[in-house]
Amino acid sequence: MDFTIRAATLEDCKDISRMILELAEYEKVSDHVKITQRDLEQDGFSKNPFFHGIIAEVPEQHRSKDGHTKVGYSLYFYTYSSWKGRAVYMEDLYVMPEYRGKGIGKALMSKVAQLGMAAGCNQLNFAVLDWNKASLDFYLSQGCFDVTADMGYHCMRCEGAALENLAQGDS
Amino acid sequence: MFLMLVGLLFRSKGQFSRFLGGLSWYYLKMDFTIRAATPEDCIDIFRMTRELSEYEKLSDQVKISLEDLKRNGFCQNPFYRCLIAEVPEEHKTKDGHVNVGYALFCYTYCTIKGKCVYLGDLYVMPEFRGKGIGKALMSSVAKVAKEQQCTNLQLSVLDWNTPSMDFYIAKGAQDLTKSEGWHSLRFHGAALDKLAEEAPKN
Repeated sequence: MDFTIRAATLEDCKDISRMILELAEYEKVSDHVKITQRDLEQDGFSKNPFFHGIIAEVPEQHRSKDGHTKVGYSLYFYTYSSWKGRAVYMEDLYVMPEYRGKGIGKALMSKVAQLGMAAGCNQLNFAVLDWNKASLDFYLSQGCFDVTADMGYHCMRCEGAALENLAQGDS
Repeated sequence: MFLMLVGLLFRSKGQFSRFLGGLSWYYLKMDFTIRAATPEDCIDIFRMTRELSEYEKLSDQVKISLEDLKRNGFCQNPFYRCLIAEVPEEHKTKDGHVNVGYALFCYTYCTIKGKCVYLGDLYVMPEFRGKGIGKALMSSVAKVAKEQQCTNLQLSVLDWNTPSMDFYIAKGAQDLTKSEGWHSLRFHGAALDKLAEEAPKN
């Protein structure tokens, strides 16, 4: 199937927001989604964006039954390792179910890798849920390694009241 | 975007003092200060990143140079931010160091929760542990996160590193690998090169 991968624009935020919710449903976390289309517009398209995006788009004749031509996306940002240097973190990678198996996910991920390397990064990092076998198998088949399984790194998070207390020096 | 830390030294051992002045603030507990890193600190950050890698038994993983550290932290759009824990001269180490700890972090994004901070490194030299310095560094990063409207602070810990794991859990961190099954994955080296070469040409 014909598709193109291009940089996301402000106008894409409506479709990105839609697809974020679809991804959240797939990952069974849709009740945790807090950000809105407006947040995406402010956070991704300001002078100092917190993320960058790429969109997978199909021609009109292949639009979805709801009329969408934007059928996949990836959001990424740059980080830094004090041991390895610049890295790119792929926060989301998503393709609408009816467009899977056509190389779109691979194309999106490759594009993030290419953009990251062009920016001087030597790692592409991301996270997957351990029960998401289809995604895990896909990623491992592409040559990545499981930092958690192989090296023992655990992902940790501080939020809400815990973050509040920490910021006040109370915990 | 980064909060500058300035202040005066108060000798108020065991007490918490805070000076607020617009975008400047200051943190003191016992005899140390937490402040923003400057380019001149890179030599100490470089030294301490290597000490941290030895502690994590991963010193063979360290590839970057002092120049990389300076270039990426102190350019127009820095790739990281850093806070330093400094002790007064009279407490310097036997090698003469007064910069005894650091926290290195990046602004990141979660499409579920919004703006976040990722704490990449948190390190205190062994002889200065148990004095509240690690806690002060982490709290300072959390404060910066809150002031930038970040909703989370994220980090990674090695599963065998029980003292660090216990420290973070005690501070209210959740282990998402254990509770939700998140795994970190990585492309690097030849696998990353190959992936990038396969990107569409349009």
